[in-house]
Amino acid sequence: MNVQDIMTTRIECVDAESSVYDAVEKMVDKRIKSLVVKFPGKKINYGVITARDIVFKVFSKGMNPNDVKNSEIASKPVVCIDQGTDLIEAAKTMTNSNIARVFVCDGDNIIGVVALIDLMSAALIMRARGEDVP
Amino acid sequence: MFLKKLFSYGRQEQKVVNRINDHIKLLCVTCETFKSGFEKNDRSLLQKVIDLEREGDFIRREIVSEIYEGAFLPYLRPNLCKFVEIVDRVFDLLEDTAYNCIDMEIPEELKGECTQVAFLNIRICEMLLITFNAMLNGDPLREKTLAIRIYEKKIDDIKLGLKKDLHKIRINNFWDGKILSEFISGLTMISDIIEDAGDYLQIISVSMK
Repeated sequence: MNVQDIMTTRIECVDAESSVYDAVEKMVDKRIKSLVVKFPGKKINYGVITARDIVFKVFSKGMNPNDVKNSEIASKPVVCIDQGTDLIEAAKTMTNSNIARVFVCDGDNIIGVVALIDLMSAALIMRARGEDVP
Repeated sequence: MFLKKLFSYGRQEQKVVNRINDHIKLLCVTCETFKSGFEKNDRSLLQKVIDLEREGDFIRREIVSEIYEGAFLPYLRPNLCKFVEIVDRVFDLLEDTAYNCIDMEIPEELKGECTQVAFLNIRICEMLLITFNAMLNGDPLREKTLAIRIYEKKIDDIKLGLKKDLHKIRINNFWDGKILSEFISGLTMISDIIEDAGDYLQIISVSMK
């Protein structure tokens, strides 16, 4: 089993120049914990903003989310892996970078995202199928 | 194990067990055929899904009549028949979904996620087969039914997104809208029924311990 089998293909994005409030609204509305941040420019340029970033870098400091741009708190660049990467490699990448999700890229395009819960689910499925569990 | 003894006892029982196995295997093949037909937009493959549903019906009738001709203890018969009926509902749903797919062109923006659901449907069917065989061996089913639920949850998540995308598509006549809506509902409901079948195996297993 590789990351292509378990990734979530629906990627939600926000503009780097829009406010954190927009990001919060989108996360709550769609019940997700991270958003891809699109930076302006011709070259494809992505960052990522998570619920953790918003709480730690905005709310806990008493800042108004309307006054903070996504670009100010986004992590950049995003950590990418290839769609053929196996689960152990994906887990190692997440461990080494200390991140909870890794993006699956095809060239310059983000085609999916794999989160910790996806890796745990995949491990359970592999156990149930009698395959070697990482 | 008690279960294994119970299920392997007698030629008639063995025949039923083998046919249920064939029934679920055929379901996996039907799901694969559907996915290929959908992906390649191949009408002959989608037509084959309809033929496979008839084959599934034939096996179901054979299993049910074999059971009521005396296979298994009477208290087990309704449970086994119910399980076979649930699996048969998946065949029916695949047939309806294939018909809908033949009848209309699926919008390009929905194709990617629909293909992903079709792929997960194959996986969840395979998991049902694994669960059935585990039940025959008297193995614990907890991990297997959990895997089924994980697949079902994943398809449910995709369904939510698909339904939102569906609202954005411009529909020019009532029937196109109806067929498209039924196609999405059918495709995403298969996993719900497989989950029911998995739960039923768990019930059969527990009730015999």
